[in-house]
Amino acid sequence: MDIFLQQLANGLTIGSMFALVALGYTMVYGVMRLINFAHGDMVAAAAFVGLTVYTQIMGEATSLGAVIMIFLLTAIVMACIGVVLERLAYRPLRTAPRLSAVVSALGASLMIQNGIMLVWGPQMRIFPELVPQVYWNLGNVVISLIQVVILLLSLVLMVALYLFIEKTRMGAAIRASSIDQDAARLMGINVNRVIALIFIIGSSLGAVGGLFIGLYYRGITFNMGWQYGLYAFVAAIIGGIGNIPGAMLGGMLLGLFNAFIAGYISSTWADAFTFILLIAILVIRPTGILGERVAEKV
Amino acid sequence: MQQIQRYGYILFIAVMAILPNLLNSRWQAVAITFLIFTIVALSQDIVLGKCGMFNMGQALFFGMGAYATAILNSTYGWPILATIPVAILVPALFGVLLAGPIVHLRGDYLLVTTIGFNIVFVQVVQNNLGGITGGPNGIFGLDSLSLFGTTFLSQLSVYYFAFAILLATLWIMHNLDASRAGRALHYLREDQLAAESIGINSRFYKIFAFALSAGIAGMAGTVYATQYSAVSPEGFNFIQSVLFFSIVIVGGSSVPGILIGVFVMFVLPEIFREFATWRFFIFGFAMILAMVLRPRGIWPARFGRIPKFLIKESNHGT
Repeated sequence: MDIFLQQLANGLTIGSMFALVALGYTMVYGVMRLINFAHGDMVAAAAFVGLTVYTQIMGEATSLGAVIMIFLLTAIVMACIGVVLERLAYRPLRTAPRLSAVVSALGASLMIQNGIMLVWGPQMRIFPELVPQVYWNLGNVVISLIQVVILLLSLVLMVALYLFIEKTRMGAAIRASSIDQDAARLMGINVNRVIALIFIIGSSLGAVGGLFIGLYYRGITFNMGWQYGLYAFVAAIIGGIGNIPGAMLGGMLLGLFNAFIAGYISSTWADAFTFILLIAILVIRPTGILGERVAEKV
Repeated sequence: MQQIQRYGYILFIAVMAILPNLLNSRWQAVAITFLIFTIVALSQDIVLGKCGMFNMGQALFFGMGAYATAILNSTYGWPILATIPVAILVPALFGVLLAGPIVHLRGDYLLVTTIGFNIVFVQVVQNNLGGITGGPNGIFGLDSLSLFGTTFLSQLSVYYFAFAILLATLWIMHNLDASRAGRALHYLREDQLAAESIGINSRFYKIFAFALSAGIAGMAGTVYATQYSAVSPEGFNFIQSVLFFSIVIVGGSSVPGILIGVFVMFVLPEIFREFATWRFFIFGFAMILAMVLRPRGIWPARFGRIPKFLIKESNHGT
């Protein structure tokens, strides 16, 4: 039972990071029908940008205000990179064959990943301790302040995003564009602006996710984007790709699944079990848990 | 154009037949690598280019063939050449078994499941399931090529071994284009619904494409294991699959395009060794640039002798 509760706490923490990253994948896929392979590397880049902001701009301060500034500045930088990426690598290919855009995304992924390596070096870097090391013992279960911060902040961001998508005019434009881009354009929606907005939101949520990864795991490497990106992408598919609450649910489920595999079986098998789960879900219910069945156009 | 292409092939085969005699041993090794990865990329083209199924796990079948050869040779003492049938049949069988439940999936979902298969394979091999794969270090110390009691130690013999398999692959691809199965695959890529409505069994041909492609990749795996006389899990990572996938799409899923792609990905880095750390950064940039400037690939494939005015600008896959 102790293992169960401990892994439940760990799983929810990991899951909320997956969910934040998965939102970036699912929003881009929803509107552009493109797997943005570069997103995982953007998340990794965010951790390194955060590190540099901390040492160079904030002068290694760890007060609450400084930490908030680090999160904000990193999110802004990543949002700008996301918009530029979309403008240069994806927009010219919007009417091109589907696979060309996928290869362009893979190219962007390689570029960002190796760009990190060229700037910050190939060795592992240690992320600063921005949140004080506070632990609570509840019975035999240990919960850290970092876990609580990650979980709460992720929940706040997700609820805010959900309200934005469901309640505002801009959110309605995003939903309309993801149903039918051409029709949305005819209704006077500026689809280019919607896509830019999606990259801004997706990249900044990914940036927060990347900083959380740095805070939680401490060690950050230039090639960690593939790993977290793939997991988050799997989470987006499990929840139903293109579906925003689905990405949140998928992220949480995948985090819990991973934590229980690590707790009860072995973490050396985590990848294999994650993908077996994914394949099983896709074979049984190809649209994911919350995805709607879309009739293929003929 | 057809004529030029035919002479091009003859010239290419003639050059590749003489080439290794002019190279020193380091460049011979590079040339062998070029041949091996060309074979794998061509096999990837059967599923991805000809049939339009998004497969991003080709390294799985490549690795399966390599491991089949390595295990049979090092544990059971089979000569390398005798392992070839197994290295073809095992991946082909897995191609059928794995593709069976997933070929009906839509493009991107298929892509993710094949990534999944690749990752599961690497983890199984790394964790040494069944105790025969040698874990993270892999298997090393394989025998050299031998035939009728004669052992061929030189690198030149490995080169011609690889070259023979490349020729066999090109022959299979050429015959496939002209065959009933090749036409069915092409039609499935262009319009699956229309293909099914005139009686093409889409499920059968898609699984067939996977099996054929897996078998050829497995054969390339045998050459790979022979050349390095070792196999290890990193050689068949998901990143390798990404490279094969990109080569086919950037090349335009034609034989000349794929040759150019493999040359750029695997031979150029050997020439410009001083830029080794910049390698993938430049590749990434080149991939974006190639796709933006030529969305259908640098050397787009053409099928049959359809007059130009009849060709509709259709999307490559859906």
